[in-house]
Amino acid sequence: MGEATLIVPDALLQTMRRRRVTRSFTDSPVPDEALGQIVEAGRWATSGGNRYPHRFMVVRDPERIRLIRSVAPGMLPLPPALIAILIDTEQAGADSMRVEVEPMHWVDVGTAAMNMMTMAQALGIGSCPVTSFSKSGVATMLELPANLVAEFLLILGYPASAKRATNPNAPTPVTARDLTYWEHVGEHDPASTPRDGT
Amino acid sequence: MTNAREQSGELVLSEEQALEIITFLVSSAEICLHEPIYYGTFRLIDGASRMIGYMLEHDPSRTAEFLRGFKDEIDANKTLMMSDRESYYAFLREIPAKAAAELKRFREA
Repeated sequence: MGEATLIVPDALLQTMRRRRVTRSFTDSPVPDEALGQIVEAGRWATSGGNRYPHRFMVVRDPERIRLIRSVAPGMLPLPPALIAILIDTEQAGADSMRVEVEPMHWVDVGTAAMNMMTMAQALGIGSCPVTSFSKSGVATMLELPANLVAEFLLILGYPASAKRATNPNAPTPVTARDLTYWEHVGEHDPASTPRDGT
Repeated sequence: MTNAREQSGELVLSEEQALEIITFLVSSAEICLHEPIYYGTFRLIDGASRMIGYMLEHDPSRTAEFLRGFKDEIDANKTLMMSDRESYYAFLREIPAKAAAELKRFREA
């Protein structure tokens, strides 16, 4: 048996289930303490080979965020804060990671981002992952040295109480059963129920 | 011959806002190289919304009412791209006529 967890599994699962992409924020700033907790969660994400080729950059300056938004078409709202996940290509190269041809570092970026989004949700802060941006444009706006490359932007803020449109044509959310085979392709968790009831 | 815009003498974008839109457009062009093809339509329609947002900050006297409604319509429908693509495509097919009608009205006024 491992160490007892501080939170019950159901609470963790509920936090994960309640997280939604937030595309409308209030103007309220995100407290520095909360941003610190979010990057701490990112720090505890797995990193292949314990290499940690990534760096986090917290940005709160509204003017700077507005400039970044102009090179990040995937950033729809103007958020009060963002965290850029960067890859240190010099360190990655020293660790024999070939970031230009092998996407291994993306796993590290993804696990860190997911931990951050889960922590944000636990803190009542909305988040939205942004990958649609110009890397050269973001490098210019963040004044990055040549060895740091932006791979991911996590925008953060308190969710505005925007009305969620109901769309009858929206696809049915996937279930764990849809995504999971047990032992062999086509075989599912015998305790799960298929969505069509068959 | 002068058109309505020249007659009114209104400026509806600052140089900085225009530069932001240009930066947005060229950044969109770059990411269109690796995103799904239909995302390009989203970038265009979102770019239109962003430009309208900047224009409304200058309160354009002759088009503000139209632009406000047009932007609301774009913003209410653009994210259908992620959840209901057929409805999104139908929306894309509808809106050019509305912009065209407004341009025609503007020039004839």
